[in-house]
Amino acid sequence: MSATTRSEGSMFSAYRFIPHGSLHALAGLAVVAAVLAFTVKDKFFLHVLIMMLLYASISSAWNIVGGFAGQLSLGHAAFFGIGAYTSTLLFIDLGISPWFGMVIGGALATLVSGAIGYPSFRLRGPFFTLVTIAFAEVVRLLTLYAQGLTRGSIGISVPFRPAVGNFIFRQHSAYACVALAFLVLTVLVGLWIQNSRLGYYLAAIREDEDAAQALGIDAARYKLVAVLISAFLTALGGTFYAQYIFYIEPFQTFSLDFSVLLAMMAIIGGLGTVWGPVAGAFLVTPLQEALQAKLGGELQGLHLVVYGTVLIVVVILLPQGIVPSLAAWGKRMFGQREARPAASPKGGA
Amino acid sequence: MILQAENLSKSFGGLAALKGVSFGIEEGEILGLIGPNGAGKTTLFNVLSGFFRSDQGRVVFAGETVSDLKAPQRCRIGLVRTFQVVKPFGGLTVLQNVMVGSFLRTADPGLARERALEAMELVGLSGRRDTAAKSLTISDRKRLEVARALATRPRLLHLDEVMAGLNPTELVQMLDLLKQIRGRGVTLLVIEHIMAAIMTVSERLLVLHHGEKIAEGTPKDVAGDKRVVDAYLGEEYLLA
Repeated sequence: MSATTRSEGSMFSAYRFIPHGSLHALAGLAVVAAVLAFTVKDKFFLHVLIMMLLYASISSAWNIVGGFAGQLSLGHAAFFGIGAYTSTLLFIDLGISPWFGMVIGGALATLVSGAIGYPSFRLRGPFFTLVTIAFAEVVRLLTLYAQGLTRGSIGISVPFRPAVGNFIFRQHSAYACVALAFLVLTVLVGLWIQNSRLGYYLAAIREDEDAAQALGIDAARYKLVAVLISAFLTALGGTFYAQYIFYIEPFQTFSLDFSVLLAMMAIIGGLGTVWGPVAGAFLVTPLQEALQAKLGGELQGLHLVVYGTVLIVVVILLPQGIVPSLAAWGKRMFGQREARPAASPKGGA
Repeated sequence: MILQAENLSKSFGGLAALKGVSFGIEEGEILGLIGPNGAGKTTLFNVLSGFFRSDQGRVVFAGETVSDLKAPQRCRIGLVRTFQVVKPFGGLTVLQNVMVGSFLRTADPGLARERALEAMELVGLSGRRDTAAKSLTISDRKRLEVARALATRPRLLHLDEVMAGLNPTELVQMLDLLKQIRGRGVTLLVIEHIMAAIMTVSERLLVLHHGEKIAEGTPKDVAGDKRVVDAYLGEEYLLA
């Protein structure tokens, strides 16, 4: 392209257009979570809090591809697993700090996501989804076969050597703080994307790819950018999981169930909205953990029955997801008077 | 000549939708493209805008052969189209829809917003800023389609039946809009079925029939052309 078609203005200025309301909500959430992290003494509740924050983060990362770009990936467990395995192996075999390994794992997942995304984004709809499922399965099988490197199906235990540099803590509250920082990061990335050109383009691609192309949007390229960011963030979550649970193995780490869970949280909360995955994860995670703890031992699979029933009810009652339904309800209750001031921070251009 | 189409042919299976069509568009003119249903008008649009590859022939835009460029790249150099069946981004607001267009020339959301508002003002959609595109009326959807394309700052704009389905008042507004767009230095290629409208607004007309160009010239010449009358306009048109 000639120089005259170069863009004017900076893409980074998009942060100025993030609605203040969202930033306040994020700050409020962070304060509440931080206070809970240091006041809750019950180990189980603290664990639930940590998992809520972790799942909210990873589901938000998934939402960049699945929600913003509207490409239903069910292969994100692969990126999660790549993150978990990379940092853990680097830590155990080479003594590299998981903090550093986390970034390397993210970079590796980004690379892999580009390699798989480039060809598969030509496919639309269910065909794309099928490819992502197959992709995660292939990564899992490779992990199983490469026993010399990955220990195969036995899995890997992370030795308990508490130290900040080892990303291993005695206190659960420290894990909660790291998970919270991770959530703040993913939500900020989501808010930035949503209000930048990338976000507008992804929404356009999701709504009508042909119309997007007609407006000069190289759909394949922007979907690729979305998956690169999404894969990186998802892999960070994998490292956190390994450092917190102390054990990873191929069947669970790369499972389709996990990919589905990420998608389901975002769908329940509100697909393609920044707060949807957070709301979805905050609802589903405690439910899942509590049911598993209370009913898991009673009758095989009973907790899954209850869990499934609750999800069906939520999807029937709020087909748009929690966040859009609440937003629509708020609009009806408070009318235009509420909607105007909320939109005005964007008006100061 | 801002655009030259040379010997364009396109077949779908055994059906020849375009047969060796050649024509040119002068910078700053409004060229009307007419013909009966199935004449190949929309196929021609798809070939010019890069949605289809022609089997033969080439498209030259601003002195550059663009036959190998895909739709997004053609849009970037100023060759932009709208769709006959409008394609709003239904879940987005009107403003957001138009911003998608203006983001082509700037990555800055503030600038994109400013330019989108300008384009909306021009087409008369300012009052619908925060309306979801899916709840617009058909005439507003057509305006949105035009505003979004305009926001990309085109040099040559293809409009595919933007007047279909409008009432007489809306029709007059749309004709006015086309003249205003041209006044801003944008060349227009317009597909239209409403003869009264296309006759008044275009400097020249191009007539397609069964994928072939059967006439080209001023509205007056074309309306008097026997082949055009036979193929498309009908006897009544001459009498009227």
